Amino acid sequence: MSDYEGSSGPVADDDLSLPRATVYKLIGEMLPQDIACAKDTRDLLLDCCNEFIHLIASESNEICEKEAKKTIAAEHVLAALQELGFEKYVSEVQDAYEEHRKQQTKDRGRKSTKLNKLGMSEEELLRSQELLFAQARMRYQNSTTTQSQSSSDTPSMDPAPTNGAQ
Amino acid sequence: MVRFEAQGAPGSSTLPAARVRRIIKEDKDIFACGSESLYLITRATEFFIDSLIREGYEFSRLEKRKTVQYKDMAKAAQSIEQYDFLGDIIPPNISLKNPKNKQ
Repeated sequence: MSDYEGSSGPVADDDLSLPRATVYKLIGEMLPQDIACAKDTRDLLLDCCNEFIHLIASESNEICEKEAKKTIAAEHVLAALQELGFEKYVSEVQDAYEEHRKQQTKDRGRKSTKLNKLGMSEEELLRSQELLFAQARMRYQNSTTTQSQSSSDTPSMDPAPTNGAQ
Repeated sequence: MVRFEAQGAPGSSTLPAARVRRIIKEDKDIFACGSESLYLITRATEFFIDSLIREGYEFSRLEKRKTVQYKDMAKAAQSIEQYDFLGDIIPPNISLKNPKNKQ
């Protein structure tokens, strides 16, 4: 994914945080139209987000380790949210998760639907492919033999005139 | 309570997942985070922003202001138990009358 962050240059790992512009945009969308957010408040929110991410990740990791797993899985995150008192997020996050998974399967499925739409089985597709190759080969051979006919004295496949012209 | 609807395609997020992953990786104790988990944490963070800013907004409304200010966020963080982890990030205005560290 691109790490482009507008005017601020390369960010040191210590200063790693969410992109300002995106967070500002979210704040704008979440508040009513006529309400503003002071600049220091917006920056504060950025820091709060960082803390939140660390909190959830850390708690998820602990739950993950308790299950003797090494990779944080979705259920660990959900359990962490519950554990930390964010159960009101759980159902929303679960819905988002379902949407996300549907999207993933759709993207994977899209590759096969293109083929399915042709209405031919794989064997038929292979056969038609070979047929197309054979036709292309013939066309190529024919075009090369006609070239050699016009430029050389070698006897052509056509039997007639030279024999009769004595 | 959570009312924020992510704009854009369903199953996507507004916050960049790659950036969230890098923030998570700052924690050396974390070995690996699956991509689905990453997505969940990203979305949870969006909901978090939504909740927090709305709480702050409620406090600004109480004072009939049209701008959500730092002190509104500080009050929001103090009033809700789940936001205890923000204690160090949003120190309440420390009164000079009661310094915490006496030397």
